[in-house]
Amino acid sequence: MNTTNLALNLKEIEQLYPENPIEFFRDKKLCLFKACLEKYFPGVRFGIEDFLTDLELNVMTCTNQSCCSGTFFQRNLITRAQFGAINERNLSEINKMADILLFSCNGCYNSLIRGREFLNNPDVRRKTQDILNQLKKKNNGINYPGKYEIVDDLKLKLVHDLDFFYLIKNSVVNALKYNLKNMKVAVHYGCHYLNLSRDKDSIDEYLRPKTKLEELITLFGGNPVDYQERESCCGWGASQVVIHPKEALKITFNKLKSAENVGADFMVTPCPTCLYTLSKPEYREKMRKWYGEKLDIPTIHLNELIAILRGCEEERCITLRRKTPRIEEIFEIITQ
Amino acid sequence: MNESSNSEWNWDFYEELVDDVEENKNIIQCISCGKCVGDCPASKVSSFNVRKVIAKVLRGDKSVLKDSDIWYCYLCERCKRVCPKDNINIPLLIINLRNESFKKGYGPKYNDLRKYVEMSERFLKSGVVLDEPLGKKLPIERINELNEICNFARIKYVFKASKSNKKSKKSKN
Repeated sequence: MNTTNLALNLKEIEQLYPENPIEFFRDKKLCLFKACLEKYFPGVRFGIEDFLTDLELNVMTCTNQSCCSGTFFQRNLITRAQFGAINERNLSEINKMADILLFSCNGCYNSLIRGREFLNNPDVRRKTQDILNQLKKKNNGINYPGKYEIVDDLKLKLVHDLDFFYLIKNSVVNALKYNLKNMKVAVHYGCHYLNLSRDKDSIDEYLRPKTKLEELITLFGGNPVDYQERESCCGWGASQVVIHPKEALKITFNKLKSAENVGADFMVTPCPTCLYTLSKPEYREKMRKWYGEKLDIPTIHLNELIAILRGCEEERCITLRRKTPRIEEIFEIITQ
Repeated sequence: MNESSNSEWNWDFYEELVDDVEENKNIIQCISCGKCVGDCPASKVSSFNVRKVIAKVLRGDKSVLKDSDIWYCYLCERCKRVCPKDNINIPLLIINLRNESFKKGYGPKYNDLRKYVEMSERFLKSGVVLDEPLGKKLPIERINELNEICNFARIKYVFKASKSNKKSKKSKN
């Protein structure tokens, strides 16, 4: 049984609404998957929430949604079936209230897609359903009003914010108040976007580089720059930056240094976990100490960048980010 | 880092791993081309070498479970993407090997897991990995469900080491 048809079919929408894909979403309920790291970067959430609200789309979040638990699965703290059960619980709750689920975080997106892929294994599927059944049995449905089943054909479809923004790029560009003034921008996709689900049966699909971020930056009036470490990891590496910081931050250093070497004014990413690793002042200081060079290239999430370009208040798009290297400088340049 | 042994060539270890995680059967297709190593972020900064890991498993060399190398994998899935074969899921193999290593008590060191105590505590007490979510908190009924799902998982044992858990135990006594 194939349970992996979770991703929103972007090609179909492009064919149905070639002029204005946003129309596809008009009668849909859109839910934003809450990434834990949005707490540190609220502009990542507000950036898309405010934009969708301005477009008069029906946007919401789900109070009953938990963390995707990818962190714990990756460190062997929960089993595949438990990971699957946490995913299915979230999907079941959100499926009840929404049609489309949007992701601002590569990690969350990867977790939900991968969690479903695991269910193609009959043993994992059975164990996952057993765990979900246990929730019902043990509590007799009284304290636990949610009853969870693995639903193969969910009406809910998943889409990453980057794919969504790219799909409705004309609507995004029309909503911008400022442009990037030909600034040089290095793009960082993040591993769990870049490496996810490549179809190896299609040579074109398999080998074609992903370029949506570059195309968006060009549309925003920026100049995307190529750099050697474009496809490399940010250094987070499933918490490697916590477990083996010296090795992991070397990867972060090489990435940022490579972007600085080609004169990038800032780096943009569609993932808050990558953003956390690339921008955390404490990590920048460790890199200076260990590798002998201070790097001060600013880093920003795509949702925050779009918010700035749309003319959102500083408090709304880069709140709590005052210590991030030179972020206000970029804000000033764009909005002056 | 690598502790190799002179174990005889046999399929017992491979079969054990396949029995545990069926998808691991596909590693038999590995042609040792090395694409995975060449593109691996961990291989650039440590002695982690996927090709050697797979070779050890296929040779039946269980010393791979003692190697600290397997704990350096970034689970970035780059290897899965660049592998010319279709269904070799290296990140899943690494997670499986780490599980086996855990079971045998080889690693990781306590210090490594200690870094997960607070995160585990937050997840089991509030359903997120940071102090507070942005917006409304998860209702207690939903948090209870997460705790039920995680029964007997390592996350529960890591949580037991948390300060708040120790405090609540003391207050009960």
